[in-house]
Amino acid sequence: MRRLGSWAARVGVGFVRACVVAAVSMLVPAVWAAAGALGIWWGAGNPWSWVAPLVLVCGGTLALSRPVCRMVRLLVARWTATVIPAGYRQAPPVTRMSTGYWWNGFSYERTRRDALLDQKWRIRWTDPANRRDLRFTGIVPLTAGVVAALPPAGVAAAVLGLGRPGTAARLVGALGLVVAVACAPYAWRLVEPVAVRFLRPSPAMVLADRVDELTAQRADATVAQAAEIRRIERDLHDGAQARLVALGLSLATAEKLMETDPERARALMRDARVGATASLAELRELIRGISPPVLNERGLVDAVRALALDIPLDVAVSADDARLTLDPPIESAVYFGVAELLTNAVRHAHASRARVCLARGEAGLVVEVEDDGRGGADERPGGGLAGLRRRLAVFDGTLEITSPPGGPTRVRMALPCESL
Amino acid sequence: MRIVVAEDLYLLRDGMVRLIEAYGHQVVATATTGPQTLDALRTWRPDVSVVDVRMPPDQSDEGLRAALAARGEMPGLPVLILSQHVEQLYARELLADGSGGVGYLLKESVFDADQFIGALERVAGGGTAMDPAVIAKLLSSGSPNRGLERLTEREYSVLALMAEGLSNQAIGRRLFLSESAISKYTTSMFGKLGISADDDTNRRVRAVLTYLNKP
Repeated sequence: MRRLGSWAARVGVGFVRACVVAAVSMLVPAVWAAAGALGIWWGAGNPWSWVAPLVLVCGGTLALSRPVCRMVRLLVARWTATVIPAGYRQAPPVTRMSTGYWWNGFSYERTRRDALLDQKWRIRWTDPANRRDLRFTGIVPLTAGVVAALPPAGVAAAVLGLGRPGTAARLVGALGLVVAVACAPYAWRLVEPVAVRFLRPSPAMVLADRVDELTAQRADATVAQAAEIRRIERDLHDGAQARLVALGLSLATAEKLMETDPERARALMRDARVGATASLAELRELIRGISPPVLNERGLVDAVRALALDIPLDVAVSADDARLTLDPPIESAVYFGVAELLTNAVRHAHASRARVCLARGEAGLVVEVEDDGRGGADERPGGGLAGLRRRLAVFDGTLEITSPPGGPTRVRMALPCESL
Repeated sequence: MRIVVAEDLYLLRDGMVRLIEAYGHQVVATATTGPQTLDALRTWRPDVSVVDVRMPPDQSDEGLRAALAARGEMPGLPVLILSQHVEQLYARELLADGSGGVGYLLKESVFDADQFIGALERVAGGGTAMDPAVIAKLLSSGSPNRGLERLTEREYSVLALMAEGLSNQAIGRRLFLSESAISKYTTSMFGKLGISADDDTNRRVRAVLTYLNKP
């Protein structure tokens, strides 16, 4: 009984879905048919009576192609959990220039509204996705549309056939009903492969997206680098440089006092020595922040081991290749990534134990950091984790964070092969 | 003492040689690269050597590797490593063979010439001289060793100072205690660490190694 019920439910759901798919995919052909009917009604022989239908066909197809595609994408995502990236061009922000005019990436406009409108139409018109959408609206009625139309067609045949006298009509009606019921659970399913095949972004669109992404990354990297250099300059200026000036002063005074007050001169010399030690310690910290010496001397794995020893935490480091050699910028990014994560484990997660695992596989380098802390790590914009994600993105690297409240926190950094 | 100095920067090498000679020791050879260092250590078997970590040809840890290789061939060969930075990782590698005669200090430790020469002499005598930074980091990290967790706080700080290479007298001065009080602490500490009576230097080295090699 239950199996019968679930079968009935599947038929019912399938029938509704098939009707929806048929309706959506037949929308544009319906416009064409309406235009054709209009032309014939106005007089098929007169060329002038075809002007308005032609305009209707062109306008209708252009205007409907994108909504139809959006709808199909939505239906496929909802029914099959297959997400097809849309790949439409995104509008750049509209900004107000110092002249008071608005710049929308294409032209200057007097008001914000005009700028937005102008931008919308320019992007809409030049979007390479238009060609793909048009092609799809042509293909979908002939494939998924036809198949999805079977159940409603069968039902229509049944209604018309069974209502009429005559064996032939009844036979056709019964046949229609059988066809409708039999293919209802499956008829809508063709829409998924068709959409996946014809509705995904074209290579040109993928390339355009990639260029946008790289442009943004380059801007990010440049800004971050400039900020870093400014920080180093400030540290040197306020730290070591100032200390060296003080040191020179002490020595000059000591030289002056050598004969008249040797005791004070000696005290000054002692101060100078302490100052030199302090500035060396400062420089050492600064260098560690720029490029840890152990990373240059030993490579990534030993540098992570050294880091693990310095962190007040029980850290186990495992690597499948102890002499892992990578490009220096990548080594540096991964090292500082691990340092950031271990610091978080101490400072925020209050962990007592952590595990770092470095593995170089077919797909690239994978680094996993896991701690036994209290979890609940979240990625705030401008925070450490967001910064780490950005630094990895420069190498097309990714960051996956799983940190349920109560822990444990597990973070996975992956860098693809091509960038190694 | 016959000493080998391995350092690639001319100014530092020259200054070091002059400092050592000013204290009446003899610099028998100097080296400027990793392979040269290993050669010099093999040929001269010095009483103690001063080795920089980073040296040509690769500007990586050539000096450290040469020192470790030489100690592998000649166990207990006294080596004092000088570096611009100290890493626990390197300290552990130096101490791993457990034979003493090892020092690991920051380059600026030469600012205090008396203490530096003192450290050099201790290492030559089979003792240890570890940078306080290494010891501080060891104190703040890792899980305590079996024997170490039974030590009292005072014994622990005595051990930490011993690891820096200080004598009982110097430790007493640092902790404002008498020398006899310190020797009482050290005796009870040796007992807890399970280090039997032996000659004093040896016991000290073993206690320090237990401490520094904790997992």
